[in-house]
Amino acid sequence: MTKIFTIAIREYRAMVATKAFLLSITVMPLLMFGSIIAMNLLQKVGGGETRRIVVADGTQFLFPALEAAVAARNDQLHHLHNDTSERGGLGPDINRFQLELATTPALTDEDRLRYSSEIRAGTLYGLLEIPAGVDATPEIDLESLREGNLPPQVSAKFYSVDSSLSEARQFLQVVINKSVKTKRLAEAGIDPLAVELASLPVEVSGMGLVEREAGGKITAAQKKDELSTLMMPMGAMMLMFLVIFLAAQPALESVLEEKSGRIAEVLLGCATPVQLMAGKLLGCVAGSLTIFGIYLLGGYFIAQRVGWIGMIPYHLLPWFIVFQILGVTLYSSVFMAIGASVNQLKEAQSMLLPVWVVKMLPFFIWLNVIRGPNDLVPTLLSFFPPATPTMMVLRLATGAAIPWWQPYLGVLVALAATLACIFLAARIFRVGLLWQGKTPRLVELFRWAARG
Amino acid sequence: MSFAVELQQVSKRFGKQLAVDRLDLRVPTGSIYGFIGPNGSGKTTTLRMILRILQADQGLIRVLGRESGQATDDRVGYLPEDRGLYKRMRVIDLLTYFAHLKGLRDCTAAVQFWLDKLYASDWSKKRIDMLSKGMSQKIQFITAVVANPQLVILDEPFSGLDPVNMNVIRDAILELRQQGTTVIFSTHDMAVAERMCDTIFMIFRGKKVLDGTLDEIQQRYPANRIRLAFDSVETPLPTLPGLVEVERVGRFFEATVEAPATPQAVLARLIEEHSVNHFELIRPSLHDIFVHIAQPEAPLATVAELSSPHPHPHDGR
Repeated sequence: MTKIFTIAIREYRAMVATKAFLLSITVMPLLMFGSIIAMNLLQKVGGGETRRIVVADGTQFLFPALEAAVAARNDQLHHLHNDTSERGGLGPDINRFQLELATTPALTDEDRLRYSSEIRAGTLYGLLEIPAGVDATPEIDLESLREGNLPPQVSAKFYSVDSSLSEARQFLQVVINKSVKTKRLAEAGIDPLAVELASLPVEVSGMGLVEREAGGKITAAQKKDELSTLMMPMGAMMLMFLVIFLAAQPALESVLEEKSGRIAEVLLGCATPVQLMAGKLLGCVAGSLTIFGIYLLGGYFIAQRVGWIGMIPYHLLPWFIVFQILGVTLYSSVFMAIGASVNQLKEAQSMLLPVWVVKMLPFFIWLNVIRGPNDLVPTLLSFFPPATPTMMVLRLATGAAIPWWQPYLGVLVALAATLACIFLAARIFRVGLLWQGKTPRLVELFRWAARG
Repeated sequence: MSFAVELQQVSKRFGKQLAVDRLDLRVPTGSIYGFIGPNGSGKTTTLRMILRILQADQGLIRVLGRESGQATDDRVGYLPEDRGLYKRMRVIDLLTYFAHLKGLRDCTAAVQFWLDKLYASDWSKKRIDMLSKGMSQKIQFITAVVANPQLVILDEPFSGLDPVNMNVIRDAILELRQQGTTVIFSTHDMAVAERMCDTIFMIFRGKKVLDGTLDEIQQRYPANRIRLAFDSVETPLPTLPGLVEVERVGRFFEATVEAPATPQAVLARLIEEHSVNHFELIRPSLHDIFVHIAQPEAPLATVAELSSPHPHPHDGR
């Protein structure tokens, strides 16, 4: 045991006491949550320019409404710079809009070409062409409408280099529709406020389940928001992936260094392959628990700052740690066996491809798991050992009522698979460490595992 | 006499290649035992079998009294031919790590002793990747001996070392023997083997072709090489029957005397016609014997005959 601990301590230090470790635990979450963070950052630091939009208003009625809406939006943007928490209905585009009336309400092809040239040159952002009559109530008898026939649509057109995804187009469309609807209702003698009142939606709130406390008191169900419903399971899944990856990858690199750096031969004179592997696995588990601890503290600190402290699923922590230890051990042993079989990291990467596919399985279906954590596929996958740690944690993090025995069975299944994996990987490890020939094929690896 | 290592009829095959063929050897306890042989002859395979990193296909291997066991033996220290150390570790941490792995928990004094002995103390806080090749090699040597093993196996311990560092390692090995440690080392440097080894063992194409003290080995090869000089440097060496492989070395001539001629007969003929002022019989060096045995074109049958009682290193092949 002394040798195992000696090896474990070295492996732990080699993993944790490096700049690369600090860099990876910082960079990995950035990579995984990068798009969300980048979008927020861009919204804060980007934008700030004024986008000129020319409006050819054939209705002679909509332009003032559009101008008022744009002014209100620009005003909201101004406040956004002072208070970033109030985003209102703003999208990712935080540039100001500036509307100008076209020289003529009815454009000719020459006009459109001229404005297009300005757009191409970058002096103009977009051209909104609203044909006359777009605000008129379509003429169709109600009987025909009831039968599902819709009147012919007169559409406005927005020209810009990014018109299909343009937030300006979507913004202006909303304003036009709201103004036209109000005008049509008024023309029909209906009070728009009455329609708005009648159209107020009935919310169906998502609630947690009612529970009975130890004292017998029944607790009220908590309202569930989208953030906790989606982010918590996704965060747990990502975290499990990270802690496994950040521990298993150094294990592979360590074995590869020992093999390609010709250290393995000396090590085998000092410790048995089983001792070597056990020590390395212990070091990996300790390293991954350190990573988890760092993320947990970081997450706690952030949650406290933004007022999400009540969302921390304390009940999930013991399960997470148990499945993390199993997952790290299982994947690290596989990574080590592969590291011992190859001579270069490049060769290892190609051999790891199937392992990655299995590791990524929960990512392919995580939304389905959140919608139905007790459905057949998520349930079956959570007993498929390579996916068990991530899948079981993902299911538990949804807060759904998972049958009580399933996490325990998951632990047993994962434990059995981990032990088998260590046993077989140790055989590959022992043969592979001194193997200096060409990289073995998968068939040969299986043969090493079978024969020892 | 007790033996630290004994091999009896040991063979090892890799696929179709017979790497080691029915090898017998005995390494006396407390001696320095030199392994020589050309590249690919089976030296490293034999050393790895002694270490039990490789398992023999057949035969018996006894190391420090044990017939079976694992590679992990804290009584044995090993310096492999392919050197390697953790590049990002500090020297002191690395030596402590290997001493701990070898079961020496309280190793501070031993580590410092060896660092001082090999003039490496100033480097103890440096990272391995900061060291020169020679310094790395000395550090790796320390990893093999720091835990005070009873048997030390050194595969090419001098390769890549400059003469100064070579002397440092050589003195350390000689001191180990004085303390009763058995040392097995392989080398391509015949001069080193001649100077240091109590017993020399040569393996060629997986078979043992030499085994004994330098004296015993040399006595198996007749001294049929002569070195002579005349009073006058201008005097040419006359052509005599049986005198082959003539070389001029400074003011001397060196030549091989081929049977049925004898050195005595050659000397008698020379004295008749010239004024000879120097004549000596040269015993074959280990280098000569090695080169003689390890001819690349040596047929397999010849290899099998090499352990015959009186092979001839200068027989004109």
